[in-house]
Amino acid sequence: MALTALLPWALGLVALAVLPILAHLSKQVPKSKREFGAMLLAKRLTKRLRRRRRMKDWLLLLLRLLVVALLALTAAGLQFSYQGGVPTYAGSGRVVVVLDQSLSMSLTDTGSSLLSRARAEAIAIIAEMPSGTKVGLVVYGTEARRITPELTEDLESVIARIASVEPLGGASNLRDALHESRELLAGEPGAVLLFSDEAGPDHITGAESELALLVAGGGVVIPNPIAADPPRNVAVLDAEYGEGIEGGQVTITVANYGTEPTETACEVTLPDGAAVPIFIDVPAGGEAIERVTVPREALGGVGRVDCEDPDLPFDNAGYFHLPRVGASRVLVVDGDPGDTPTRSEVYFLERALAPWGGARTGVRPDVVTPAGLTTLDPDIHRVVFLANVADPRPFAAELMTFVRNGGNLVITGGTNITADRYEAALGPILPAQIRRPRSLAAADEPGVPLELPDLSHELFAPFARSGRGLFTRVRSRRVLTLEPYVDDDDVTTLLNWEGGLPALVERQVGAGRVVLWTGSVDLSWGDFPLQTAFMPMMQRLVAYLGGESGGAAARFDGRVGESLVIPLPDIVLEPDIIGPDGALVRARIDGSTLVFTPESAGAYQMKLADAPPLAWIAVNVPPNESDVRVYKSVRASEEELEPELFTRRIDLTPSFLGLAIFMLLAQALLAVRGTST
Amino acid sequence: MTWDPTVLSRVRHLHLRARVLTDALLVGEHRSRRVGSAVEFADYLEYRGGMDLRHLDWRVMARSDKLVVKRFETETELACTVVVDLSADMSTGQSGTGGYPDLDRSKAGYALTMAATLLFFLHRHGEPIGLEIVGGGGMTYASLPPRSGKSHLQLLFLQLASVQPAGRAELSPALARIGQRVRRRSLCVVITDGMEEPSEWLPSMKALTRRKTDLRFVHLYDREEWTLNFKQPGLFFSPEGGEALPIDPGGARELFGEVVDEYLAEVRAGVVAVGGKHILAATDQDLATTLRSVIFGKTSKEAAWR
Repeated sequence: MALTALLPWALGLVALAVLPILAHLSKQVPKSKREFGAMLLAKRLTKRLRRRRRMKDWLLLLLRLLVVALLALTAAGLQFSYQGGVPTYAGSGRVVVVLDQSLSMSLTDTGSSLLSRARAEAIAIIAEMPSGTKVGLVVYGTEARRITPELTEDLESVIARIASVEPLGGASNLRDALHESRELLAGEPGAVLLFSDEAGPDHITGAESELALLVAGGGVVIPNPIAADPPRNVAVLDAEYGEGIEGGQVTITVANYGTEPTETACEVTLPDGAAVPIFIDVPAGGEAIERVTVPREALGGVGRVDCEDPDLPFDNAGYFHLPRVGASRVLVVDGDPGDTPTRSEVYFLERALAPWGGARTGVRPDVVTPAGLTTLDPDIHRVVFLANVADPRPFAAELMTFVRNGGNLVITGGTNITADRYEAALGPILPAQIRRPRSLAAADEPGVPLELPDLSHELFAPFARSGRGLFTRVRSRRVLTLEPYVDDDDVTTLLNWEGGLPALVERQVGAGRVVLWTGSVDLSWGDFPLQTAFMPMMQRLVAYLGGESGGAAARFDGRVGESLVIPLPDIVLEPDIIGPDGALVRARIDGSTLVFTPESAGAYQMKLADAPPLAWIAVNVPPNESDVRVYKSVRASEEELEPELFTRRIDLTPSFLGLAIFMLLAQALLAVRGTST
Repeated sequence: MTWDPTVLSRVRHLHLRARVLTDALLVGEHRSRRVGSAVEFADYLEYRGGMDLRHLDWRVMARSDKLVVKRFETETELACTVVVDLSADMSTGQSGTGGYPDLDRSKAGYALTMAATLLFFLHRHGEPIGLEIVGGGGMTYASLPPRSGKSHLQLLFLQLASVQPAGRAELSPALARIGQRVRRRSLCVVITDGMEEPSEWLPSMKALTRRKTDLRFVHLYDREEWTLNFKQPGLFFSPEGGEALPIDPGGARELFGEVVDEYLAEVRAGVVAVGGKHILAATDQDLATTLRSVIFGKTSKEAAWR
């Protein structure tokens, strides 16, 4: 607050106050004389009047001094200025209406959403604008959009467009909105009418740089805050799967932005449809964390947490990735079942994959004979092991479809393998053409060892710490040989026998992979099953191929309104993005990535037609948008930038003049009534 | 001795006015307040030893076996002293000619006319009449004790006609002095504006009533003065001298009314306290009415001055 004078020197006129003092001191005596026969009474009257006059005369003097002082102050042009005003829209000129359509504007208050109130207020203001006013419209959520390409005098069309603005589930990007407003104003002064709830921890602070540019350019932001009173919202801030008892735990974070503590009913729905109801006590203005135990076995995918909250439904759900929990199904086809379990081809393989019955490793092998391949279920089985299977031709088509759609096939060598049959049946998907087996050493010799694996490859990455050397202990006396081939984008040699013969070869086929182990998984050709590296290698191979507990699909997270860039698998096919409602989501391929912008929260899938998902995408609303509390107002930010905008001046001249006239009349009245003696 | 023709004219004038006013007054027998032997029955008194047996009412004794004596009113002469205040203050109002007060609208003229009429009226009834003039000047005698006779009346009229308001009344010593001279059980009429500090002269009123005098205090005032019925502010001064006071009648009228009320209440209380009758008379009031009030001892209402 400050008091300033346009003409400070005029304050010197206060010295004229000496005039009424002189007038007060001088005694006015009437000139005419009158003979009076009741002087006794006149004396009594005089005595009484003197008592009154003592007070009245001082009052007169005071009034006259005030008159002079007030006139001097009037002449000085005093102004009273104070901070705290709000810029107001003058009613004409160049105006940009900025409408917040972020998630928090969907908050319901007094029966209508904040956005609908904002629309109504904006329309009401525009409707009152005089003709000739140029108006533009900018809406913003995660991104800001110019609805009118330039300022227009067609107010009706602006009103119509405001009426059609719908809420989005995204964040509040006021910075871009102000930038767009600045572009609309084209560097000329103008007013930006902002209709927003100004809620969120960085809603306003994130836009201060643009606000500064706008104000520096002669613009002014006139805030029209539209907020619920009091603010209230319960939101699922986060849901995340992690390790824990049973099949792990989903940790749920729920926030209460209201002023009253609440008990919220929530439900955790797993990808397989299993629902777990819970109640969460959330303190006022705080967060609560609740954990839900996942069963020992559960399908992988995107789970969902729903909490009840009537105020802002958009953020009542949280989506989280759930890897496949529990035993992952691996179909092991035993091509050489023995008469005893130990003589079985897959005796060692089965135990390596599920040493404790699959409970801890997450792998549950279903061991079948070749005839059992009919039980192959692409929705359940992720990896198929063909262990020394003599003739795959009866199931070749099914296997190739399985692989191309994302399944994984592991072929291991053995005495039953017939090159021609394999070539005829699975030739299109084999990493290389199989030749007949080749002896590398005599039966009483230990055989040829493996070379050290390349730890940079994803398959062997877990052995980086230790265990790499274990591979060199693996020896084989006999191996399948392959037609010469070269490593390319599709075919990769993962392991070699000492001397250069390939030991483990991988080929990408469609969405799946085919891996060929040129040795055997029993003791007929070598000692691999007896080596320490066998079990971890088999476990890792299943995990690598997608048969591990996490499933084969990649997992991505996204936010509503934000562009998501999904790296495409090394395939030529173009996957689609399927939204939570099962509808195709518009996406574009940009090089080796697929880009799309989710418009609502939920579980998105990237998949090929009729194939398991290549990737699960859990899309959630921006957590900051759920915070409907106002941390800093536009007004406060603008006041920091340009305090002058918020300085209000009151011209005291009319008040002083009026007061002086009033005092003048009052003293005159008092003087007239008081000049009795 | 040379008579001033103006005075003589005023004597005739006064005489004429007194006669006219007297005729307008109710005429009747004046009865003495004294009780004595006469023909007019007054009341009964229980007989006690030593009383004159001639006054026993035998009829009453025969009827009731009680001894009572009859008492009768006695017609006696009632001496009357009229005290007229002719201080300079009494001269305010319409001034007359030659320094003599106008008999119609000045307080002094009103007082003189009233005194003359009263004296004439009492003289017609054969009562001894006296005159005391306080203040004033130009008269031969300021004090003339009650006497009967036409020549005395003429002497009184001559004093009244020749007196001019002047000086101060000095009521306190004047009343004390007169009080020593008035006859016992006589009538004393004081005509004054009372414009001296009441606390000073009211105690002296006791001297007038000490001898069982029937006191009629005629309080004269000029209505314009008491209502401050003047338009322009001015320097108000007393003909008796003293400090002049600037007064704005418009602004002070209301307060002045309060002052008058207080003053009047003080004087009235003082007069009543000594057994007198307070008769308020404005100079614009019908003199006959005032005289009736004086003769019949009818006091005026307190707030009647407005």
